[in-house]
Amino acid sequence: MDLYIEGIGFGIIAAASIMLGAMGFTLQFGLTNVLNIGYGALMTFGAFATYLLHVWGVNVWEAVIIGGVATSLLTLLVAKTVLTVYVRKGAALFEMAMITFGVALILENGLAAITHSNTYILSMGLEHAHTIGPIRFTSTQLVLVIIAAGVFILLDSFLHITKVGKALRATAVDPDLARTCGIATNRIVTVAWLMSGFLCGLAGGVFTIDIFTVNAFTGDSLMPLVIVAALMGKAGSVRGAVLASLVLGIVTQVVSIAGASSYDSVVAYGALAVALLANPKLLQGGLVAERVQITV
Amino acid sequence: MQDFVSISLVYLGIYALSAWSLNLQFGYAGIINFGWIVFQSIGAYFAAVTSIGPMTSHSYQTYIFGSSLAFPLPLIVGTLSGAVLAAILGYIVLTRKIRSDFVAVIMLVVAIIALQVVTANVSLFNGANGLSGIPQPFNGVLHLSRAGYQWFYVGWLTVICIIVYLGIEWLCRSSWGRSLRAMREDEELATHLGINVQFLRLVVFVIGGAIAAFSGALLVEFLGAWSPDAWSFVETFVVFVAVYIGGRGNNRGAFLGALLVPVIFGVFPSFLPAFGYPGLSSTLQWIVIALLWLCTFYFRPAGVLPEGRLIVQREGQPDVSSMFRRGWQGSRKSLQSEGR
Amino acid sequence: MTTLTKEIVGVSLDARGIVVNYDGVLAVQDVNLSLTPGEIVGLIGPNGAGKSSFMNALAGDIRVKSGVIRIGDRDVTRLAAYKRARLGMSRTSQKARVFDAMTVFEGLVTSVRGDAGASLTSTLRVGRAKAAEAAAAEKAWELLDHLGLQHIANNFGNELSGGQRRSIDLAMAVIREPSILLLDEPMVGVAPALVPALLKEVRGIAERGAGILIVEHALDVIASLCHRVIVMAAGSVIAEGTYDEITENVEVRRAYLS
Repeated sequence: MDLYIEGIGFGIIAAASIMLGAMGFTLQFGLTNVLNIGYGALMTFGAFATYLLHVWGVNVWEAVIIGGVATSLLTLLVAKTVLTVYVRKGAALFEMAMITFGVALILENGLAAITHSNTYILSMGLEHAHTIGPIRFTSTQLVLVIIAAGVFILLDSFLHITKVGKALRATAVDPDLARTCGIATNRIVTVAWLMSGFLCGLAGGVFTIDIFTVNAFTGDSLMPLVIVAALMGKAGSVRGAVLASLVLGIVTQVVSIAGASSYDSVVAYGALAVALLANPKLLQGGLVAERVQITV
Repeated sequence: MQDFVSISLVYLGIYALSAWSLNLQFGYAGIINFGWIVFQSIGAYFAAVTSIGPMTSHSYQTYIFGSSLAFPLPLIVGTLSGAVLAAILGYIVLTRKIRSDFVAVIMLVVAIIALQVVTANVSLFNGANGLSGIPQPFNGVLHLSRAGYQWFYVGWLTVICIIVYLGIEWLCRSSWGRSLRAMREDEELATHLGINVQFLRLVVFVIGGAIAAFSGALLVEFLGAWSPDAWSFVETFVVFVAVYIGGRGNNRGAFLGALLVPVIFGVFPSFLPAFGYPGLSSTLQWIVIALLWLCTFYFRPAGVLPEGRLIVQREGQPDVSSMFRRGWQGSRKSLQSEGR
Repeated sequence: MTTLTKEIVGVSLDARGIVVNYDGVLAVQDVNLSLTPGEIVGLIGPNGAGKSSFMNALAGDIRVKSGVIRIGDRDVTRLAAYKRARLGMSRTSQKARVFDAMTVFEGLVTSVRGDAGASLTSTLRVGRAKAAEAAAAEKAWELLDHLGLQHIANNFGNELSGGQRRSIDLAMAVIREPSILLLDEPMVGVAPALVPALLKEVRGIAERGAGILIVEHALDVIASLCHRVIVMAAGSVIAEGTYDEITENVEVRRAYLS
């Protein structure tokens, strides 16, 4: 029994990175309707930025934030150049997903070429472990969880209380209607790309601190869980993404501890596949199932 | 050097079959099978385990079945396994209204799960190490040198490709092929015309899956080995790029794509001397393929050989028995109407 | 012109107590319709009255919450749309639907009933398939000639003008020689010059024995075509009768003006 509680503890820590990524992904997806498979590459970028800054002597937590900012700028760049170009050419939903896949390949393999496919270690030094019951964790891991929780609270308040946040949610539901109501959807979409890029970079940085390592394909190991979590909640719903991340994080860790570690991803993907198949209306109450329009 | 030519041709044949199978599913019927590689792989595995012979106490690999069926039974079993998998998956995934990129995600997820399951479950197909020592057909009978056998296989694949090409072309140009395109263009309209879209989609998926599995079986009989390295889910991307670049909905285009992408960028560099750090060339290949895809989709979204259109003209008098002259017109996008 | 004047085997359409539910909103509430062979019935009403929903329900594109639909004496309430199409029901859509990347000719040939393409095994009977193809092609040419649209036979669906799309949408429904024809605003966007030819086509189909239900906003079309008119508002039928009768009806006037 203790073992399972330990699994829950690990799960919460794992959920920290998943959560940040999923919040960013669902914002992006909810607003633009583009299934960005290149998100993993962007997380890798965030991870590398954090690593490099840390190596250059920046405090690791500041590095995470600066890495997030860098990723947000890169995301906006990719969105406004590559993605816009193809949307204007008339790319449909699946083609956009393929395009993001192509962009991801270029980004990650480019990184691999530059780094000679090396893996680098991000060491946080030896740390003292705290315990709560059977759960043991380091200060760093605690900070990761606090960051994730804090970001969620900030983001959720932003979306529900501020004017820009409400405009974001309105545009996510119906961009045409939002435009008619006077919302500058172009600027809102830019904000969405920046914010989700920032969260993406944070996720990469947090993940790499959690697993101590970074290489050109780091984001790929986190991305599937991020996409699963984001799609299991309502598209555009940050709360849903967070809940799904917690569930996924805990389930995968518990499964891993129960001895079937090679099946942990299977459980996650299986959950997504079942969720999508059983009820496509689960996602956005039917809107996502029918929405064809892409807003970039 | 000779080796390079014969092996490239073998891969061309395999990728041609792959491209045709995906073109049928995606180019003609609009099904987004982003887990395509799983079908090629299951064909390879089942052909392997039905020809590799039973496990002995000395065996260093574990697997299911383990028969030594005579040629061509392993090929048939491999092909059928793909058909069965397609029938099951198709029934679960395709008989619902799900948006196109979600279908892609689900199929991708299937590929990822399959990879995990096979790697983790060593008793299935020997896990990450994969299977080796798979007998090549006719080798015992023909007593050819290694190079000779490679050329024999080229001939064998050529025959197969010609037969498959003719079969697929005939299917696609028939009225059945027309219903596929109708289904792809506007599913609801096709329904109003009496087309059973669900069933049609399933049938196409199964045929495509069978051909994909067939290609896998043929490949494994050539290579003699098969492991998870050979079927990561990124491989599906390569075949999609081939079909996109060559021309969707056009079987000659698909063949062209099979020529361009995997052979030139896949096989060719592996015969180049290694430069830079080890692994650099394969990294660069991915960048090149991705760039190729992005550029092609920008400049020529329909591909090098687009689908073309059927031109009909009336000859002679409007008499019931007059013959209609038909022609295919290649890449011209619009036809000026002959006055109003 | 033999195929275009052939008699159509008429089948009646009967719908009782149709209720359609869209996410909690009752788009159609307890509507009845009875269509006999040779009859042209008009369905009019202000926007949002539920006319298209009702038509969608009849065609099988959406499920009814309750009610019974019969084609002939066969209960088709739970029958899939494509099966109803095979039983002789044809329809056009509010948004003129054509196949974008197929030529007009191909679209027409696909629409012909009993088109061999529907089944894989029938393509294997090469001789019969060829004969069926030739017969279908013949019908397609005849109809195109009849409508004066031969010159767009080789155009892709996405190369057609709006009016041409409407015409071809209608042509694809008509070429099926349907026993029951459902038309959803078939004249919207059609060049005024082409309207009489299309009206003649519709009337011709009815004279050959089909039953037709037509949703239209253009009241002159309704007046000239329909034997009977049903008026819907807010999901229910508020009046039924001949064109003259319903235009005098106070309820109807109120529904249109409010």
